[in-house]
Amino acid sequence: MHTALVTSAVMLLAAVAIEAQRGTALLLVNLPAQARLSFSATSVTYPDADPTTTPLVASVPVSITITVRARVQRNSQVTLTVQSTDDLRSGVTVLPASLMTWTVTGPGFAGGTLSRSAPQLVGRWTGSGVRVGTQSYRFENRWTHPTGTYSATLVYTLASP
Amino acid sequence: MRKTLWKVGLSAAVVLLTSTSAYAQLATQNINATAVVAARGRITLTGAINFPDTDPFVSPTINAAGLTVQALARVAVGAGVSLTVQAGGNFVSAGDSIAIGNLTWATAGGAGFNATGTMSSATAQPVGSWTGPGAHNATQTYTLVNDWAYAPGNYVVTLTYTLTSP
Amino acid sequence: MSARTRTRLTLWRTGRLLLILGFLAAPEVAGAQQLNLTISPLIVTFPTTDPDTAPVLSAAPVTVEYRVRGNGNRPWLLTVQASGDLVSGQSRIPVSAVTWAATPAPPFRAGTMSSTQAQTLASGNGNANPTATGTVTFRLTNSWTYDAGIYLQTLTFTLSTP
Repeated sequence: MHTALVTSAVMLLAAVAIEAQRGTALLLVNLPAQARLSFSATSVTYPDADPTTTPLVASVPVSITITVRARVQRNSQVTLTVQSTDDLRSGVTVLPASLMTWTVTGPGFAGGTLSRSAPQLVGRWTGSGVRVGTQSYRFENRWTHPTGTYSATLVYTLASP
Repeated sequence: MRKTLWKVGLSAAVVLLTSTSAYAQLATQNINATAVVAARGRITLTGAINFPDTDPFVSPTINAAGLTVQALARVAVGAGVSLTVQAGGNFVSAGDSIAIGNLTWATAGGAGFNATGTMSSATAQPVGSWTGPGAHNATQTYTLVNDWAYAPGNYVVTLTYTLTSP
Repeated sequence: MSARTRTRLTLWRTGRLLLILGFLAAPEVAGAQQLNLTISPLIVTFPTTDPDTAPVLSAAPVTVEYRVRGNGNRPWLLTVQASGDLVSGQSRIPVSAVTWAATPAPPFRAGTMSSTQAQTLASGNGNANPTATGTVTFRLTNSWTYDAGIYLQTLTFTLSTP
């Protein structure tokens, strides 16, 4: 009986509550909208070519890889556009920017024709993420183009309206 | 102590949540595009100049089928462009010849083309002239004087068209 | 021995046993083990750097002060657990994207945050007296796939002895 009482006491000891002390902290992460545009090349050149044999001149490099990194509000739309600051210009001689067209690869990317008057859509996506595609420019080559070295600046804009 | 901690945390969160960040443009990037347009030209002649044998009494002149002439020139704004043709000599058949001056042409269609011309082997003859770059098309119809004095034979001559921009 | 004597002896033994039981059953912790825990700062903030520049975001170090007394040679445990994923409206960042490094190691150890199970931050045996200090640096895997927003979540630190 004495042994039984001692055994019961030991079992009671095993049921004693665990002592604990707690503290809390707040984890806060502020992720503002951010974006980064990367291009595998920042210039394209159309070499001279015979308009009869090469009515569309491919650019050098033949394609540009575009990487769009955007962090936006949930389900927000992300758009990439391009607009020429001017027509193609060689001194006082100009060729319409619309002579430049492009095709694309990659989800969300879109082909189009360059314009100096309005931004043209290059890609459209929904939400945050990293999108990679390629853009291949072509120049419409004509016998009616006056000789010269023409240039234009293409401005790409990544936006989330 | 625990209650105080929670209150402090919430206050900070509320301050941050009420701050807004309006934005539209996220990033921009420029690319430079350059197109090189050099001077070049191309002449395309479609057709053959053949004069069939014909009775000179019936046909004192023989017309060949029309020759399509296309002159393509890419030059500077305001630069002159000229198309000429010159024979390599007279019509020749073995030891016989027909004076090249017996060959003339008339041109239809295409601004800038000369309406008529007479072939020469001494000097290049004008076919057409233009200013600035462009593509020019017309149809030339060659005519050969059909003379009883011609010795029988198959006469040939080479005509060379030249497109120039000074 | 008389029946009366045997009864008295039995009663005395029972009483002694009850006394022993009463002593043994009394909460040994009451007035013996003393635990103190302080977390500073109360808000753990991560910098706002884009993922290309900083693939991992590190918050300013968190100071954990703890004190264990009256623990004899028994073990003590310090854990941390999140109340859920990082939340901003309907946007979520898995809380498992939060990890930490801590010093001194031991008793502190590195780990990955969880909302389902308390994770060991530090452990030891005996007492920690006077107050001991550890430094915890929380890190968040940065990603372009996260929605923009202000994410919050509560962390609960627990210092305990069995």
